[in-house]
Amino acid sequence: MNRALAGTLAVVLVFALGACGGADPGAGEGGEDTAARGTIGFSAMTLKNPFFKIIADTMTAEAERHGFDVVVTDAERDVNRQSQQVDNFLASGVAAIVLNPVDRIAIGPAVRRANEAGVPVFTSDLQAVAEGVEVAGHVGTDNYQGGLLAGEAMIEALGEAGGQVLVLHFKQANSCVLRVDGFRHAIGAYNRDRTEGRIEIVAELEGGGLRDEGYRAMADGIQAYPDLAGVFAINDPSALGARTALEQAGRADQVKIVGFDGELAGKQAIRDGKIYADPIQYPDRMGVMTVRNIVSYLDGEDFERVHLIPTALYRQADAEQDPALD
Amino acid sequence: MPEGVAESAAGRWRRRSLDLLGRNLSVVVLALLCLISSAATWREQNPITSRSGAAVARQVLEACQAPCSVLVVARDTEGDRVFVQAIEQGLDAAGARIAGRVFGQPRDVRLELERVAGAGGSLDAIATHRIASEWGPVRTAGTPVFAPRSYHWPTFLTARNLLNVVNQNADIAIIALGMTLVILTAGIDLSVGSLLALAGVIAAVAAQEWFGGAAASPAGLLAAMLLGVAAAALGGLLSGTMVTAFRVPPFVATLGLMMLARGLALILAVGHQRRLVGGGAEGTPEAVRVDAAAFAWLGNGAVLGVPNPIVLMLVLFVAAHLLMTRTMFGRYVYAVGGNVEAARLSGAPVTAVLLAVYCLCGAFAGLAGIVDASRFEGGRPNAGELYELQVIAAVVVGGASLAGGRGRIAGTLIGAMIIAVIQNGLNIAGVASYEQKVVFGALILAAVLLDRLQPRLRRSRRKSL
Repeated sequence: MNRALAGTLAVVLVFALGACGGADPGAGEGGEDTAARGTIGFSAMTLKNPFFKIIADTMTAEAERHGFDVVVTDAERDVNRQSQQVDNFLASGVAAIVLNPVDRIAIGPAVRRANEAGVPVFTSDLQAVAEGVEVAGHVGTDNYQGGLLAGEAMIEALGEAGGQVLVLHFKQANSCVLRVDGFRHAIGAYNRDRTEGRIEIVAELEGGGLRDEGYRAMADGIQAYPDLAGVFAINDPSALGARTALEQAGRADQVKIVGFDGELAGKQAIRDGKIYADPIQYPDRMGVMTVRNIVSYLDGEDFERVHLIPTALYRQADAEQDPALD
Repeated sequence: MPEGVAESAAGRWRRRSLDLLGRNLSVVVLALLCLISSAATWREQNPITSRSGAAVARQVLEACQAPCSVLVVARDTEGDRVFVQAIEQGLDAAGARIAGRVFGQPRDVRLELERVAGAGGSLDAIATHRIASEWGPVRTAGTPVFAPRSYHWPTFLTARNLLNVVNQNADIAIIALGMTLVILTAGIDLSVGSLLALAGVIAAVAAQEWFGGAAASPAGLLAAMLLGVAAAALGGLLSGTMVTAFRVPPFVATLGLMMLARGLALILAVGHQRRLVGGGAEGTPEAVRVDAAAFAWLGNGAVLGVPNPIVLMLVLFVAAHLLMTRTMFGRYVYAVGGNVEAARLSGAPVTAVLLAVYCLCGAFAGLAGIVDASRFEGGRPNAGELYELQVIAAVVVGGASLAGGRGRIAGTLIGAMIIAVIQNGLNIAGVASYEQKVVFGALILAAVLLDRLQPRLRRSRRKSL
């Protein structure tokens, strides 16, 4: 009997040591409170998307330059998790909190708790719109302008023939809603004075902003709309998922893809002619600007409260000269 | 084995303590985890209290002579105001002059310093707390800065954090109650996460569209919430019916309900958004916002400093504990899980018990959904995703057997807290969520292994007696 009990205890101990071993390096990371001016807590939308990883990495590097530590957490697209992360930041006494709000309304109560605790909240990429909460600063992409550029790229890609276009959406994110609004506006303006070669947006499918969901949605889209000429995917992962579906259906040559973001995998696909073009965002600038805003805030200096970075169109010709793609 | 024949006193003591340990293993694990979390979060703490405020005042007075002109700097929060009040009382008593006072941001400090300099005043000291002492204008003011001494203490073991730990997992714990009943009958309920979302969305939509929106009365809000809970209970009743009347395996019946309820929650939420914007515009699966401020009370309010979700969780646990230990119903649940046929033959109303159990599980999920909706001031159609797995993990870690018939309500509470402490400890220690998943997986495997070993343990104990 004692042997069995000892066995179970051993299992528990191994597990406990596992937890301890897991916690130790983290404690070293976040626990250095001697030299630094303080800690910045960052709750990223999802670190599975390289876009947010770049924001996190550039923030960490820039913050170090100013004497701050950054604790990066992954909200995994769950606003419940994100607001728990905010509470944990408040409990551990951070100097400032940075969020990519997962849900621009439901994150409100968590931001309010930070306000009540006197800890400034900054947003990057996505804005929070909940009522009665104070956000100290925001840095993001001008998504509507990016949508307009995506529309222009689509017009350019389809040429005089025009045709049917599908949108792979991610409606939960307001940034994507703005992109699609801009896209629709550009296409609408193009169609206004022509009867032939019009571009028709036939459907908006939910691509989840993810590679696998984008793949599934596109596979369905091909079935439903056999005459498709183009796809606008609201980010690179879903654009790449769509590309896979088109290749499998043997339709990759007939359907032009316009993506968004300009992350590394997306740029490579543009170089290889798999995606026609991307309005590119600058997550690195976003990370740097956010940290500079925090430093300005803590130094009592004035800064631009809402800063929108315009996108630029990135085509195959740009990719061929891009030193980052080797 | 000779051990049973002539056992020394020391041997007996050792056996008894090991026995006790084995029976309360989950409590030991919880204590151990708290210890580890405390060690991993041993950090500098900066007190902002009335006592530390008085200490700052003393520091200032020691360092500068009586007609001393002091700037007091703090943030615009309740805690900071108490702190500042203590500083000012201390300074006033000694006749020091308070040249200025800032409740706000670093920018306000800069402006106040400029104002003082512009008025030709001079400063002998700045009294503040550690956080504001790091602000740029305070650091560069060229005036001695006084702040309370910091001390070291585990961040995990602060009141704020401990309340956080329990509060964040109160919804999981509440659902785990219902799940314990289901698992005791050798069943499983995968639909709880979706029922949570459905209840939240129904309550939010009802509050907005039927009970007056921003002008909703407390009674109206209560009715909206009850409607949400009732819908979730009805969902539970549906899977209970599938299980009893049609002999569908619980796994399959509740899997179906899981998708059904999630879909309904999304449809309701998107439909509501569409009605909001009007016309043919597509709705988005965002949270359905509730405008009535009172709706947020259940999730964000507190009773005597204890957050409401914790109070609700404790009340429900006591009720469930009494239900399972003091009533006929409780005995029936254990009997059905131990051996259905035996229970049936001895006259237990098996069908009614199963129906009640699934219905209760749905209702508990609905209650958690109301807490969630209130906490986020709106019903979220995406709420509670993968909750079913966390809840089942809590129940299993708490010592309930998936084979049915064995498990305790108190065990489930401890199981839920074990998961909460791991999550929180790793979170504040700054461990990425990927490592957390590994720890959770190992924990569940360890718990199941323990469950496998226990019958063997009991058998060998009987033999040795």
